Amino acid sequence: MQDSKTLTFSGSVSRRTLMLGAVAGAATLAMPRVLRAADKPTLVTSIRSLSNPYHAVWKTGAEAYAKWAGLEHVTLVSEGNSEKGIADIKAMLAKTNGNMVLNSDPNDTPDARPIVEACAKAGAYVVTQWNKPDDLHPKDFNPNYVSHIEFDGIASGKTIAEILFKSIGGKGGIVALGGLISTTAAIERKKGLDAALAANPDIKLLDFQVANWKSTEAFDLMGNLLTRFGDDIKGIWAANDDMGSGALEALRAENLAGKVPIVGVDGIKTAVDAVRTGEFACTVTSDPFWQGGMGLAIGYNAKIGKFDPAKEPPEHREFYGKAVLISHDNVEEYYKTNVESKPEIDWNDLWGRVTGAIRT
Amino acid sequence: MTIDTEPLKSVSDIERTTLMTLIPGRIAALFGGRRWRSLAPLAVLIVLCVLIAIANPNFIELRNLVRLANSAAVPLTLAMGLTFIILMGSIDLSVEGTLSVSAMVVVLLAANDANGNDYGWWAVLAAIAAGTVMGLISGLVQTMLRIPSFMATLGMWFIGLGLSVYMLGGSAIRLNDASIRDLALHRFLGLPLAVWVAVGAFALAAIIQYHTRLGRHILAIGGDEDVTKLSGVNVTRVRIAAFALAGFFFGIAGVLAAAQLGQSHAVIGDGRLFAAVTAVVVGGTALTGGEGGVVNTLIGVLIVTVLANGMILLGISPYIQQTVQGLMIIAAVALSLDRVRLKIVK
Repeated sequence: MQDSKTLTFSGSVSRRTLMLGAVAGAATLAMPRVLRAADKPTLVTSIRSLSNPYHAVWKTGAEAYAKWAGLEHVTLVSEGNSEKGIADIKAMLAKTNGNMVLNSDPNDTPDARPIVEACAKAGAYVVTQWNKPDDLHPKDFNPNYVSHIEFDGIASGKTIAEILFKSIGGKGGIVALGGLISTTAAIERKKGLDAALAANPDIKLLDFQVANWKSTEAFDLMGNLLTRFGDDIKGIWAANDDMGSGALEALRAENLAGKVPIVGVDGIKTAVDAVRTGEFACTVTSDPFWQGGMGLAIGYNAKIGKFDPAKEPPEHREFYGKAVLISHDNVEEYYKTNVESKPEIDWNDLWGRVTGAIRT
Repeated sequence: MTIDTEPLKSVSDIERTTLMTLIPGRIAALFGGRRWRSLAPLAVLIVLCVLIAIANPNFIELRNLVRLANSAAVPLTLAMGLTFIILMGSIDLSVEGTLSVSAMVVVLLAANDANGNDYGWWAVLAAIAAGTVMGLISGLVQTMLRIPSFMATLGMWFIGLGLSVYMLGGSAIRLNDASIRDLALHRFLGLPLAVWVAVGAFALAAIIQYHTRLGRHILAIGGDEDVTKLSGVNVTRVRIAAFALAGFFFGIAGVLAAAQLGQSHAVIGDGRLFAAVTAVVVGGTALTGGEGGVVNTLIGVLIVTVLANGMILLGISPYIQQTVQGLMIIAAVALSLDRVRLKIVK
């Protein structure tokens, strides 16, 4: 018992010392940054987590732009916690005195409003992506709320479904793996699948199951679906690549890899590799590298007065970005320019990937 | 180790008899009382299998049974480790963190598509060792710093997760070592090697529980820690050993998961904690400790796996599958736990 007491005590002392040290360290580090912030704005990226490939690439894109523009860049991670996400952004606004450009993927739909309001109040420039309430519009917060970017989930779901149908010869049974039921992306991509099915009556949807975006769940699910439908399964539609890769491994365990084509969304490396080997028929990506960099570029150009957000047309304020399709035809080139080396993006081409205003 | 105390408190039992305790008591009496109860999880499993087989004969196809065994492999190995902790009356929340560390270690040290390492089966040993060390630290933190296992292992969960996020750089890394992938892809006597590993883990856990001093001490601590301490058992040492043992099993599970998925990413463990705890509890091991064991857990894992498989075979809509799962958990626990003997339900 004596031992454990001493241990506890020494623990608390070292903890205190550590805290003091950390506070002192943070203070010294923070000082020159605040001074520097007086002239050039700080670029801030706010994303959900670094533990998924998608946001990891997002951050690389943001850093690439910051390096190109010669600006300071900070990444805030909400870890799926809305309060933390908003609080971190407010702390950054206070620290930079509002002299910052924010590119945010809000953790949840309602989060966008407090984030935009805080930025507008502090005079910072903000671009949001994916999530915002329907009644929140950039034009209501001129000039601070520059743009909102989304990718058309219906189009993605439909495109990959059509490629899948073509690769199995236009007829036969398929199974579909959906994402987390309540998320917009899952709902929209399924709508796209439904639209493609309606246009192809010879394709039969054997079953639609939900694997919550995860490869592990898709792996188990696929095994069970193989039991139920066996050789009737000619193709697999997955709402994201991670689930698609889980299904692929389940096929591999049954010696079916490459015989039953899979399609997915996101363009993660595993899927790109699988497209090269022919195990995936295609994947489509919103290009997180572009999202991470261009979101900052649009905000920064508005901030330094290159363009006036208030004078931009509606399709520059709330728009669908252009998704990149990776299929057998272009996978080698994509691999060379995006996987083996960092993609080259023209950061001056702010509106090059606008495909149209967001549906309301 | 459970001591039958019923005769001693029978008087007070009658005094406390209310509607709440009366009804389960009656049902229990109807089926022959406690002996039946200990077999309840097995009965649930059999009934479940029969019902699903009637609805869809594909269920008892050999191919499907192999698939069932395959998807039970990782949960079974995990639940073996967790059983010892729950038997002690503690909880180990670090399942997902430890699993992801172990999967991360094996992928980064064996042939992969992110670095030049190729240590083959040494990577597997290192991964299991990493899992064991994580468990050991949980045990030390709990006993030396006197932090409840709930908080200590919650901390280890996040430490493990953070470590793998950092090491993997947030992306998914492929496992290219063919001999390790054979754990999932190669078959012996018709079953993937991963299933044999899980069976081995079960055998090991059964031996530890029923034939070693450590196993009996773990059960004793769960029954009554004070009495155990007074009987001269070094409770601290047993606790540390139990957590290290759990980490060892989580480490094996991490290797199996990486081999099955052919890749590792930080969230490879997502959802595994809940599945493992469910399996242990549905099998009839009490969360309060001291009751149940690895055989119960085997049945619990099979119930959960068969249920997931059966719902797909029956074509139950994904929108209500979770509801069915919840109902089954409540039903299984209601049948297997002797709640008449529980003085307090909290």
